[in-house]
Amino acid sequence: MNPETEELACLYVLDQLGEAERASVEARLEHDDALASAVRTAELALARQVASLPRHEPSPELAARIEDEIDRLSPSGRSHSLLGAIARWGIAAAIAASVGTLAYMNLRPKQVAPLPHLVFVGLDSANSTLAELPASQEPKDADASFIQLASLAERYWKRPEDLPVKLATGSGGSGYALFDEASNQGYIAIRRLPVPEEGKRYHLWLVDTATGQVREAGVLPAADSNKGLYFFSVSPETPIRSGRLDFFVTAEDGAQAQDAQPRGKVVLGDRRI
Amino acid sequence: MATAPESISVHEEADLLSRIAQGDRDAFRDLYARYSAPLFSLAIRLVGNFGESEELLQDAFVKIWRNAGSFDSRKSRPFTWAVTILRRTCIDHLRKRNVRPTSAQLPEDLLADASASGDIRRSAEVHDDSERLKGALEGIAPNPRKALELALFSGMTQSEIARRLEQPVGTIKSWIRRGLLGLRETLNQPTP
Repeated sequence: MNPETEELACLYVLDQLGEAERASVEARLEHDDALASAVRTAELALARQVASLPRHEPSPELAARIEDEIDRLSPSGRSHSLLGAIARWGIAAAIAASVGTLAYMNLRPKQVAPLPHLVFVGLDSANSTLAELPASQEPKDADASFIQLASLAERYWKRPEDLPVKLATGSGGSGYALFDEASNQGYIAIRRLPVPEEGKRYHLWLVDTATGQVREAGVLPAADSNKGLYFFSVSPETPIRSGRLDFFVTAEDGAQAQDAQPRGKVVLGDRRI
Repeated sequence: MATAPESISVHEEADLLSRIAQGDRDAFRDLYARYSAPLFSLAIRLVGNFGESEELLQDAFVKIWRNAGSFDSRKSRPFTWAVTILRRTCIDHLRKRNVRPTSAQLPEDLLADASASGDIRRSAEVHDDSERLKGALEGIAPNPRKALELALFSGMTQSEIARRLEQPVGTIKSWIRRGLLGLRETLNQPTP
């Protein structure tokens, strides 16, 4: 077994990955048998670790208390919470919820508004093109906002002809970022990127053009990084002041950029914004 | 005695979660019967307090009830999923209290603190934990063992563990792998 694969599997099982990396692992699990096997092995080890702890039983009354609390949950509470979980679990849940998302759209086609506050940035090897998606209806809460973001990302991925910006079709890579400023969450799609050089990883960067501030938004998976749709989130510590965000992708040494600043070659978008 | 979670059918548990997502209370009770003790034991290891651990276990099971529909068996085993929910619940709770999980301290620090605290019950629990874990972790090199302890029982990120152990992040990742998979090999050996 490849040590890097084992390492990634252990970190995944121990919940030690960032949201973007966790999402990329979960996406890979669908087709990467080696990784899936390593994850199962790590899960077994985790289960045995927990089983090796001194065994304590909760008080007998606890089960009844939990059921009482469940009784107080309304059906809408269950649904709302499920959507909340989707937001917290990132792209993994987004993928898992895709069927539900599509069902939501199919059931309520007239009520799914054009997504408000979403920024779309088309990317090719030299340029980025911004499109602001018109808003006509506010999502009622964060969960609804996330569902809308995820559903639109999935729609664009499956139906690139619906993209608001025509992407380059030449020999270079292309992609797009879809970002919700309200929640600091988004999706990055890439197509036809070359396989990174040995030791390199593709990093996604967000630019606040009002302040010039550049923030790291995530690291694309090491394998299969020439094509994919990935969830990312940006730390909300510093408010984004720009009405015009931009994104670009660079090839950096390893999974962690030095000082969280881009230093490598730009492979998608325009760093000189 | 089917105390080891892996001894129970993964498919069966995934089916339970599927039924829980449909509101099946019997399935929930079945899952509770299987998971409550190992998860409670883990909560105590993380929080070091019986009362808080019960509250957090309650929160975790309510989340399991509410979020069962988001479980995806392609991405994890049911038990791993439940452990993640519990760990996040405990770590969030401790962060709100601005307290590190007990294993943010290394085992030897933990023992010293507990002994100095004068809290006899807690000291006994900690000592018990330490002895049993010491047995479970026997055979693993000290550094991977420390890294695994911190990764599993604390809310520390890889970077925080790296700073704590004064090593590069890459080394910490490698140690965690060696710790977890070495533990598997150790536990696979028959017990006397």
